[in-house]
Order: sequence, then structure tokens, then C-alpha cells
Amino acid sequence: MNVVTGLINGAISGATPILLAALGGAYTFYAGVFNIAMEGMLLMAAFCAVWGSFTFGSWVAGVLLAIAGSLVLALIFIFFAVFLDTDEFVTGIALNIFTLGATTYLLRQSFGVKGVYAGPGIDPIPSLNFPLVAQIPVVGPILSGQNLMVYVAVLATIASAFLVFRTRFGLRLRAAGYNAASLDSSGVPSNRLRAYSLLLCGVLCGLGGAFLSLGYVNLFSENMSAGRGWISLAAIILVSGNPWGVAIISLLFGFADVLGLLLQSYQVPSQFTAMTPYIATLIALYFYARRQRKERDYADA
Amino acid sequence: MTDHPSPLAPDLIRMRAIVKVYPPNVLALDDVTVSFDDGEIHALVGENGAGKSTLMKVLYGLIHQDGGEILYQDRSVRFRTPGEAIAAGIGMVHQEIVLVNEYTVWENIVLGAEPVDWLGRIDETRSRQQVQAIIDQFHFDLDPDAQVDDISVAARQKVEILKLLYRKVSVLILDEPTAVLTPQEIPQLFAELRELRDEGHTIIFISHRLEEVLALSDRVTVLRKGRLVATVPAAGTTRAELAELMVGREVLFTSRRTPQEPGEVVFAVAGLRYEDGRGRVRLKDVTLQVRAGELVGVAGVEGNGQFELVNAITGLLKPTAGTIEVAGEDVTAAPVLERRRHIAYVPQDRGRMGGSLPASVVENAIMTHHRLNAELVRWRGLLLDNGAARRFTDRLAEAFAVSMPSRSSPLRSLSGGNQQKVILGRELLLDSPFILLDQPTRGLDVGSIEYVHDQMLAMRGAGRALLMISANLEEIFMLADRIVVLHRGEIVADVPVEQASIEQIGRYMLEGNDATL
Repeated sequence: MNVVTGLINGAISGATPILLAALGGAYTFYAGVFNIAMEGMLLMAAFCAVWGSFTFGSWVAGVLLAIAGSLVLALIFIFFAVFLDTDEFVTGIALNIFTLGATTYLLRQSFGVKGVYAGPGIDPIPSLNFPLVAQIPVVGPILSGQNLMVYVAVLATIASAFLVFRTRFGLRLRAAGYNAASLDSSGVPSNRLRAYSLLLCGVLCGLGGAFLSLGYVNLFSENMSAGRGWISLAAIILVSGNPWGVAIISLLFGFADVLGLLLQSYQVPSQFTAMTPYIATLIALYFYARRQRKERDYADA
Repeated sequence: MTDHPSPLAPDLIRMRAIVKVYPPNVLALDDVTVSFDDGEIHALVGENGAGKSTLMKVLYGLIHQDGGEILYQDRSVRFRTPGEAIAAGIGMVHQEIVLVNEYTVWENIVLGAEPVDWLGRIDETRSRQQVQAIIDQFHFDLDPDAQVDDISVAARQKVEILKLLYRKVSVLILDEPTAVLTPQEIPQLFAELRELRDEGHTIIFISHRLEEVLALSDRVTVLRKGRLVATVPAAGTTRAELAELMVGREVLFTSRRTPQEPGEVVFAVAGLRYEDGRGRVRLKDVTLQVRAGELVGVAGVEGNGQFELVNAITGLLKPTAGTIEVAGEDVTAAPVLERRRHIAYVPQDRGRMGGSLPASVVENAIMTHHRLNAELVRWRGLLLDNGAARRFTDRLAEAFAVSMPSRSSPLRSLSGGNQQKVILGRELLLDSPFILLDQPTRGLDVGSIEYVHDQMLAMRGAGRALLMISANLEEIFMLADRIVVLHRGEIVADVPVEQASIEQIGRYMLEGNDATL
């Protein structure tokens, strides 16, 4: 495997959790929910995945528990922000901070360790090999041999684009974000669409979190989501939620991730290299803001 | 003037002894009994706060009555949500249009009742066909594929109506549908509504424009302060009679403007031009003068440069070219505060530009004065003199007949009319030679409108120069000495009111310089 293939595969791995979380967040973005809880959902899912995989000895149980854990957070979000109409930002912050504390505590209680748990009993999510595809020169080693969750993410992108832009659900979902009053007066409660979007976000963040702890690596460490939920939020805002755009931006972030790792081998301190995804975020935001400003001038006209 | 005495007419909807209390103790509807016949156009009129919208929201299931009963097709009904009302055949078009601007006409119409295939995918062909079929049936002139963003307000209103027709409603409630239309668009709406009635629909029409009510409806129900005053047949009822029922006293509709020779030029803009960030010309060589003791009315369809003109005058926007002079001083580049020494300004949006809704009446009353009036501050402006501020507010409340719970109540707790009195009073007490009024009576009830008009005419009598922007041509014709028409950022007409007709001004508003007379 040459360096370029390695880089691309690294970027894909780095992009997958961001992509899954961002697709989830895209639903809430379209529904008009200011949802910043992807970070917490990813982390909760990552922990539940390891716990489930270890306890039941099966990655399937891990993934299911990851989804369940993430959904619990989504339900809490729905109860407060949709049902009780509390501030979405504050609710999201609270969930994120709660999850950080809760997973740290649960790690100690369940495994009796601090910081990291990486026991041999954790069953990882398998990779899929397509022997024929793998033979194809150049792209073969990229298309084949990826973790199952990578393919799930690709399918989720296609499904999301279909769901959002072509279906009845999508028309209503976007209407909830564009003009909730209009949807309500059409006889469809916009709050119901908000709740659905958060549930979808919970499921997708569950998959993303499971990939983090059972695919990307095979362990759980405190705060292992490490800002990926925030980066997914940036990706969503940059492309206004479009699933295809989200996929491209996630790949760029994944690439920044790999770049960081690569720089480490050139003696750049790891604290600096760890910054690259966030610097990439700021750069992306700069270009986004410039475009927005142009559009605003345009709209004022 | 008695209740409609036709026992033979088929009551489609009968609302009996409806009571609605808004917490804590506002009696919005007090024992209102009214019935709507099958296939009639029935107008609901009343001042703001009379309860017309509340009554219809009760019927539509948006809010729920605290007492009384609704019979629909002889069955007692209580709709929990608008969705249930629509399913039963009653639909409402609200005053503010709520459509998804990002969607096309057909997408908006089918939203919530979309034809889909087995995958949940929207069946575009079928949707378009169904929408086109209703458009054709009622002769609405509309392109189903147009994006709502790109169509006129009148067309958007049609989309709202079509949305209900698509859901097969037989009763249409329209809340002030003409408020957003130009004079030319109203007859078309009325023709469409009559056609709907003739096809068997029942139309309930909320309005406070009495001449429209009389022109369109079969019967009129008048509400005042939450109580039913009367239901009268439109034929044979005069505007003055309706107004008297509405207000409870006689209302004068004729202009009270007395002829008066204007004095010196107080306000002058010359060659004013504004290009936005995209290079589009929003104001084009606007030249305009207002003299002392003169009231100039600016007519125009909204979005034809009124916003830019007002903002250029108040200093919120920097014109590309041209000059603005007030009282002989060039203020083209002056900062806002400097302009405020010469310009009183009543913005169209009381809650955002005009004042601060959560702030107290006192705070709203002294805004701007606290910078210009030395009596309100101590220590060279470092400290507010609260006592002086309160006295000033009392003076304002007294002079402008503001009714409020207390001086320290938030502006929000006042009625729209009283909010406007606070802002109008504050601006007029600035004693500026030039007064700019942007839609000064928008959203006010008849009584408050009369009051605001009186104050404006008093200022004109006192030799101030007034420039009023209004979407209401009738208002302009009642008050203005001169009418200026803005069309695509350009002044296309500048005529003394005596030489102008509503039809002619309306044509200028729509067609600009192409208007053939």
C-alpha cells in the first residue's frame, strides 16, 4: 500500500464519524433545531459501544447499545427543547457536559480504570473485503477493505439525500426549518418533525460513536469524541445541511486529521498537529462567512 | 339594524354565546352569538381588539372558547387543532402570509397532503396536475412551478387560498386579505371570492376597511370590545352607519385638512441615488422638497424605494449620490444624532425601530430626548435625571392621551394605539421643523388612526414640514397637500392632491412612467 492510498484511507476513517454525526445533525438543521448535542451523542455512543461489545462479546450488541445510548440523549433533548421549549443551545451544552462526566464515571465503575479501557474482550466492528474489487488497480485498495461502518456512512449519505430532497418526509422536514408556522398551518405539527429529526440524529450519532470506539480504534478513552461533534456542526453549517456537501466537507476534515498525524512524523509536536482539524474549521468558517456576506448583500438588494 | 331575520336561510355555522377570556382578566369575547349561512360572503368588522380575529380563531381551533357552543352543519363541534377544522371543511387564511418561500407554488399547496408513491417519494406529476386543476377551476392566474419567493404578495395570497381549496374546504375565513394588496389587485381578489361563493363556498371576511366590506359582502357582523353589536345586510347599509356601529360614535371620513399656504422649503433632497451592494439602483435621482406647513404623501407599492428613502433621510444608509438638506443645513453625511436635532421620525415598526417593547414607557419616552434635552440629565449627561424623566413622561402621556397601566410598565403592555401615541408624542415633542412618518397608522384601529391624523394636521397647522410614507392611498388623499409616487426607486409623479385621483395614482404605483392617463 503506497503513501497516497494510505493517506486516502486515513482520511476516510477520519471522516466517517464526522460524516455520520453531520448527517444526523443535517436532519435537525433542516428541521430548524439548533442542535449542538452531536458531541455528547458521539461520546455516549462510543462508551456504550465498548460496554456492549465487551459485556455481550459481540460488536452487534455494541452497535445496538451505542444507538440506544445516543437515542437516550436525543429523547432528553426532545423532552426539553421540543416539548418544554427550553433553549436549544443551553440544552445541548448541558447534554454535552453531562455526557463527558457520565462516561468518565461509568468507565471507572464498569471497568475500574481511569482514562482508557482497551481490553482484549472488546469485539471490533469488522472490515469488509471484496476480493474482486480489491484487484482493481489504484482504487481497489480504497473501495475494498474498509470498515463496515464506512460503507454504512456512504449508504447513509445516499439515503439522507433521497429522504431530504425527494420524499414527503423531506418536504415537511425542510418546511419545519424554513417556516414552521407554514407547516403547522398545513396541518402537520412542526414539533413532530423536530422530534423525528432528533431521533434520526440519535441513530446516526450512535453509528458514528460506535465506529469511533469499535472501528477507528478498539478502545474507549475519556472524551474520545474530541470535538468531532463540533466539527460535524461546522460541516453542516458550511454546506447548509446538504448531505453531499456534508460528505465532501467531512472528507476534508478527515484529511486534515491525517495531515496532523503525518506532521507528527516530522517532529511537529502532537499538541500542534491535533489542532489541524480545528484550524481547518476556522479556515472553512472564514470562507463561509465571506460567501454569506456576499449573499446577504445580494439579498438586501 | 337587527339580527338577520331569515329563519329559512340554512345556517351552516352557528356560534352561540361564545366567551373567551385571555388570562388574567381580559374578556376578549363576551357572549357572542353569530351565524353564517351556506354560500354567503359574511364580513366581520370591528376595531382592533374588538374580537373579530379571536372569534375566528375559536372557530378554526387555534384557540378554545371558555364558554359557548359551535354548531356546524347542525352538529356541535369543538376543533382541537386547525387540522381538524380543515378536515371538517373550514379553512383560514391569516393576515400574515405563512408560506415556505423556498418552495414552489405547487409544493406549498400540497404540503401536508402530498400525493406520494410507495417509497414515500412525492409524486410530482400528480401534484402538479391536481394543483393546475384547481387553478383552472377557479380561474386563478398562477404558475404552479413559480417559486414563492419570486411572486407578488397578491399571488402568495392566492396560494394560501388554493392551499385550502386543495384540501376541499367549503368555508374560507380570510383575515384582512386586502391589507397587503394594492388598489388594483383588490377587485381581482373580490371577483375570485365571488366566484368561490357562486360555486357554493362560504366566505368569512375580516376587515376594517368599510367600503370594501360593503362592496363585497352579503351580510356584515359588527363587533365592539368583544361584544356583538349587530349583524346587518350589506345592501342598504352605509359606511357611516357601519363606522358608527364599530366605534360607537360618529366618525368623520372627509378630510379635515384646511387650505393653507406653505412657507419656506424646510426639507430638500436633490439627486438622491442609492445603489445596493449588488449594484442595483434602489433610488434613482430622487428630488423632493417639503415646505413649512405642508404635508407630502409618498405613495407606492412597498419595496419601490420607500425603505431606502427613509433610511437615507435618517442616516441609516449612505446614499451613493445626492444631497439631503434640512432647515438649510446639509445633513447628507451627518451622523444620526446630528440629524435628530432637525428630524422627528415615526418609523413604521413600533416594536423594533420605534421603541423597545420590553423597556418601560419612561425609557421609551425619553429616548433621543436624553441626548438632546439638557433637562433630562445631570453631570453633563453622565447621569439621567429620573425625576425629570418621569415628569417628561407624564407631560407626554397627558398631551397625547396615552392610556397605560403605569409609567414603569413595559411598552409591550400598552395597546398598539397607545404604543404609537408614546412614539408619536416623543417625536413631536422634539420640536423639529421636519417630521418624517413611515406608515404612521399601520395596524391601528379607527379611533387611534383618527387621533394620529389629528396630531399630524395640528403639526401642519403649526408650520412643520411633514413627509408621510403610506401604503394606504385613502390616508394620503385625506391628509396630504401633495402626492409623490415612488416606482422602482424613482419619483414618477409629484402632483397636488386637488389634481390627483386614486385611480391615476394607483396606475402610477403599478406602471411608473408607462402609466397612460
